[in-house]
Amino acid sequence: MQGLGPDGKPTGQKATYTGASQWDAKPGAAPHQMTLTREEQDILDGKEGEEKAKLMKIVVAYGNAFGAEKLVALGGAPHSNMYVGTEYMRSMIAMFDECAEAGLKAYAPYTVNPRPYDLYNVNNNVEDMEQIYEGYKLQRELDWVHARLGAPDLNFRSCACYLDEIGNAPEPGTYVAWAESSAVNFGNSALGIRTNRNGAGMDLLSAILGKAPLFGLMTDDGRRAKWLVEVKTTNEPDWGAVGTGIGTKVVEDVPYITGLEKYFEGGKVTADNLHLLKAMGSATAASGAVGLYHVEGVTPDAREKGRDLLVEGYQTYVIDDAEQARIIKTFPNLWPEKDADPTAAFIGCPHNSYFEIVKYGRLITEALDKAGKKEAAIPIYMFCVNPVKRRLVADEGELSSKMTQAGVRVTNMCAVSYAGMKGVAERTRGITNSAKTRTYSNFRYLPDDILVEAIVMGKIPS
Amino acid sequence: MAKTFKGRTLLPGELKGEALVSKQAFNTSASYLENMFAGRTDSAPCTDSANKELYGKDMAGKILCTTQTVGSTMGAGCIMGMNDLKVGFTAMLFSAHIDSIAAGGLFMDDIWNGRRIFTIDLLGDEFLEAVKTGDPISIHEDGTVEVG
Repeated sequence: MQGLGPDGKPTGQKATYTGASQWDAKPGAAPHQMTLTREEQDILDGKEGEEKAKLMKIVVAYGNAFGAEKLVALGGAPHSNMYVGTEYMRSMIAMFDECAEAGLKAYAPYTVNPRPYDLYNVNNNVEDMEQIYEGYKLQRELDWVHARLGAPDLNFRSCACYLDEIGNAPEPGTYVAWAESSAVNFGNSALGIRTNRNGAGMDLLSAILGKAPLFGLMTDDGRRAKWLVEVKTTNEPDWGAVGTGIGTKVVEDVPYITGLEKYFEGGKVTADNLHLLKAMGSATAASGAVGLYHVEGVTPDAREKGRDLLVEGYQTYVIDDAEQARIIKTFPNLWPEKDADPTAAFIGCPHNSYFEIVKYGRLITEALDKAGKKEAAIPIYMFCVNPVKRRLVADEGELSSKMTQAGVRVTNMCAVSYAGMKGVAERTRGITNSAKTRTYSNFRYLPDDILVEAIVMGKIPS
Repeated sequence: MAKTFKGRTLLPGELKGEALVSKQAFNTSASYLENMFAGRTDSAPCTDSANKELYGKDMAGKILCTTQTVGSTMGAGCIMGMNDLKVGFTAMLFSAHIDSIAAGGLFMDDIWNGRRIFTIDLLGDEFLEAVKTGDPISIHEDGTVEVG
């Protein structure tokens, strides 16, 4: 059983990051030992090399800690969140460099999170370059490791690997071992794939073995919901705020969310609405550890099983207008000069979809037109994968041109990394509509309409 | 007088050290931003503004006592990396079941690099209620933890 006791009720155990726990794990009990196939045991015994043996040892120890009964073969394609070549990644990069030197490779070509800087569109100044060359000394080594282990070229780097322009969207029910909290969260929920929330390194390590321990969110029991979340806002909810509220409340448990079906025509998740789930889900994963959520009438598991996904004794959390306002009020203003004006706006964490980049491009340029201005008061950074940027230029050339004139810089780098980069964090009073960027930086969170007004006027409306 | 608690040993060892307590779940990535992205290597001030108990405190070399870790999946690399930078925890003590992010970082560092952060989980809510930041802690191979 995963997260449920023999009586089918939640055990109350938490802290697995997977929405489930080994129900009978107890202090002092004999250590759990999963069953391995002959082939897996041979790898563990070193018959396929020392490196692979160590990888298998890690995966088995990891699975045993969670009561996994066996390893399962992985399908689709992996996604890795190893993207930062800073000093703290040295030992992990060295680990995978040894694997690459030994001729090991991922079981399929895989996607990777965006790089932490962009020397062409954002960091094209001496001050930033100095910080980057000092701070990201291992970026080249990391990129080279990925190239040898099976990642495609840098144009496809994105945290939103499931976008059409990238194409890493395995079929529902496929076992994978992804990392990147927002990709895991979206994949499990909107795509219906089966992955636990793997830490950086465990993703690639599992990809090299082509195996992962079966537990938690990869199992039927682990995917059942311990919370019913009723969204009852009068108007369309603030997706980032709702996600933050859910993550804070349920922490790692699986929520079953109602009240959102009307925002998804025909109950379908499409290229034009997936950003709503992306914004909400990434916030649940950043403020808590939610690896899977169900949206009634929308996400695959919920469409198939409905409220049967709720466990006996589930808890209820209601998000109405008052609760949404309360959540937003908990967002602190961390600027040293609290009443000063903003100096930069970040849009696109996780990376913007094509729909989003066009939507925000239009909102900003139309607001500027209305104000009789051509250029925004502050620089705007819009984050997306390169193929989305190319599509914008190809399909919306006039808009793209106006966006450039307005001061929009479209970049394929990671927003959170830039927001936290030495120097940038100190000198920037940032604003964003991403609840995830807010969690990981000193940026202030603003809903879309207020964000656009602040971008145009250079002041946050009272 | 010392209080004794018993947990499940994941990475055993004998250690004495000083407790750093976060009664709320510990957000690993949000707590190490200066070390991860700003080049700091001499100490590890907690950068998670949502963690009122730890914000601004130096975490290097302490024994973390918390419920679980939460936040970005970068947390595993972060645990391994902080150990590499010598500003990591010497032990991680969880009142509940270990989470998959922390487990990944801890097992990778232990098995691949031979660097061990002593780890015990399932210590119970009473453990977290009893322990205070700055308390002396003794950790034993069998999963026994003495506080005070």
